Amino acid sequence: MSVYQYSAIRARQAAEHDVFVFAANPKEVLEFAQIERVGRSDDGQLKGFQRHQIASHIRDIRDYLSRADALLPNAVIVAFIEGVTVRDVGDGRLEVSIDARKTPPGFVVDGQQRLTALSGLDKPDFQVFVSAVVCKNYDELRQQFVLINSTRPLPKTLIYELLPTVEGLPQRYTSRRFAARVVERLNFTGGRALRGEIRQHTNPSGVISDTAMQKLVMNSAAHGAIREFIQYEDREDRAVSLINEFFEAVATVFGGQWVGMSPRVSRLRHGAGIVAMGFVMDLLHSSQGATTKDGFVPGLELLKPFTAWTSGTWKMDDCEFVWNDIQNTPSDIDLLTRHLVSATKRQLRKLRRAANA
Amino acid sequence: MKFLYSDTQDYVDPKYDFLNDRPNPKRERYWNDAYAHELMREAPYDGLLVAMSAVRQAEGVASSKVRYSTAEEQRMLRIGARKYLRFDGPKFKDLMLMGDCGAFAYAEHPQPAYSPEEVVEFYLDAEFTHGVSPDHIIFECDLENPPASAMPEAQRRFEITLENAQEFIKLVHQEGDFFEPMGAVQGWSPQSMADAADKLVKMGYGYLAIGGLVPLKVDVIKTVLEAIRNKIGPEPRLHLLGFAKADHIHQFVRYGITSFDSTSPLIRAFKDDKANYYIENGEGGLDYYTAIRIPQALENSRLMQGVKRGSFSAEDLAKRERVALKALRDFDQERGSIQGTVDAVMDYHQFLVLGEGGDESAHAKALSKIRERVQRTLEARPWKRCDCAICEAVGVEVIIFRSSNRNKRRGFHNLGVYHRHLKRTLEHSA
Ligand SMILES: [Zn+2]
Repeated sequence: MSVYQYSAIRARQAAEHDVFVFAANPKEVLEFAQIERVGRSDDGQLKGFQRHQIASHIRDIRDYLSRADALLPNAVIVAFIEGVTVRDVGDGRLEVSIDARKTPPGFVVDGQQRLTALSGLDKPDFQVFVSAVVCKNYDELRQQFVLINSTRPLPKTLIYELLPTVEGLPQRYTSRRFAARVVERLNFTGGRALRGEIRQHTNPSGVISDTAMQKLVMNSAAHGAIREFIQYEDREDRAVSLINEFFEAVATVFGGQWVGMSPRVSRLRHGAGIVAMGFVMDLLHSSQGATTKDGFVPGLELLKPFTAWTSGTWKMDDCEFVWNDIQNTPSDIDLLTRHLVSATKRQLRKLRRAANA
Repeated sequence: MKFLYSDTQDYVDPKYDFLNDRPNPKRERYWNDAYAHELMREAPYDGLLVAMSAVRQAEGVASSKVRYSTAEEQRMLRIGARKYLRFDGPKFKDLMLMGDCGAFAYAEHPQPAYSPEEVVEFYLDAEFTHGVSPDHIIFECDLENPPASAMPEAQRRFEITLENAQEFIKLVHQEGDFFEPMGAVQGWSPQSMADAADKLVKMGYGYLAIGGLVPLKVDVIKTVLEAIRNKIGPEPRLHLLGFAKADHIHQFVRYGITSFDSTSPLIRAFKDDKANYYIENGEGGLDYYTAIRIPQALENSRLMQGVKRGSFSAEDLAKRERVALKALRDFDQERGSIQGTVDAVMDYHQFLVLGEGGDESAHAKALSKIRERVQRTLEARPWKRCDCAICEAVGVEVIIFRSSNRNKRRGFHNLGVYHRHLKRTLEHSA
């Protein structure tokens, strides 16, 4: 490990950032920059950001770059927080010095597959362009990563999982971002019904689909109970608590149809069941004022006889379905939602009539 | 006579940035948007109609008809349509809120998409003031009054509609009459429609909704209403469902129409080639003007096809687009001549015509016609004469045919003008 020196060209962009480009040997790049892949530390904190490598992709790149006439005009992008000093030598040119004596200070933001492919090739004189950006802190660096990569298909689940930690994203991400944060909290700090049960990029052993849970949050935040929390500063806490309490009630009422089940054997744990039950949560919240497990249990007990999560048939208006015919499609979710919500409403009306009589 | 507008989630971003063609950056769809009755000083209609098929997915409902998401549908059914549509302030709370099934959406299907039970539950949850029985549309209307045996499919639909009406009114009573039931009339001839109306009155309906009128000519509708009134007398109230001939409604006064619904004043703002902006002419009539088409260069499909084919350059189009917009806005501010403005508009507009294909003389002919209409609009400056909240707020933008925020606003303006015109005409004829 050593100190690397390059001549670079600076580009005038945002005033608070240094952006410059230089040519370097891929092996050097991998010595002054690390590829930090996404994962979780032992206490559940998100770390890193890069996706995992795709072998076939690397193979394809390597096949091409091994040719004598191969060119790689597009730059790899490396972000720094520290460990780099630049000296202006005029005319937009810089002298760059990267101190990698202790640890590689840079992070590869884009081009990891290319670097990996090149590092396995015997082409010592082949250089790549390095486009470097200096960031204030790690969060800003992660923001750069998402912004740079959001034009190209990263796995959606990874993007969603990174969203809660990223600031300054385009508007279209904000409702997803809120939902992702709520789901992350439910998964890593929630009650027994949901903790560790949601499948995420960093929790592959979970079984409940994270996108279904996010959909539940987004539906409720757009038009349901969570929307009503909008005026509160602790909206997110309230959302986490409401969903947590609701699913504690679900686990209590539906017992073995929830606990330990996989979506394959229980439609209650399936994407369609999760999203549809979100509307039951909104209904019980608005009509019964339910916010706690005990508040949700009576309504769910009323609903229970009309469900067929693990066996039997769903009896809807004028049709019947075998329990596992429900698929994770918008029209099935819509159908199941309507059935669950109407059945609950009908039972609540019956109760009210009986109470008034 | 009440004019109802059929809700299809028509709202606009009240803070839309017209100069940069950008929505308000903080905009949340629906929540920050405004319906016509919110944006204008008074509601440009006497009530709203919500078609179940626009809200609820079902077998046989063309999916393109469904405009509400599941979350939106569920919210409407939790809090009621009045609150959902923000039609509940003191100004609106007494206005009609009517539900129907939107039979058009499932017309192709052998059976209606919704059962009477499901419909009643939907109307109750939505808290409508009026609800139409579930009908099955009959398209033909034969003035020769053929017998039922000659029209087997129409007869089948006729019977489904009446059986549903019977079941529907029973359920409405059972549930406690929370809304007024309206009996849907469907038939294949004036005579059969009169028979249907008569049967509905005998079932106990005091308010009938006449369906299947959309494709019919004004004279045919008159014959139908004549036959119905002859059969049932002057008392039962009548509603005309989906009445597309809004401009002719004053001719129907003598049939004792209580209400009708139409979307045509709004639809005209988008769909009509020539007459897409209404204004009262001060002599008891309406004048129609052509809105000025300046579509978004990089989003208009006809222009983009030309760009992809290589016949136009995107940069060149964008430049002419900017020039046309600027010329029109300058003209509005009394800077620049009519001729100069027409030239700038047509200099861009010609690409729309060229993009259509066809030969040179056809192009020249089409362009000269459009030029005439644009010139007429500019000479009359109708947007300057309108004092509705829309025209006051956005000025010349309302007359530019470009993207939904302008086109829908023009539709809202049309609704307001139409509503006021209708009131005046009815007062005169009373
Ligand atoms: Zn106006």
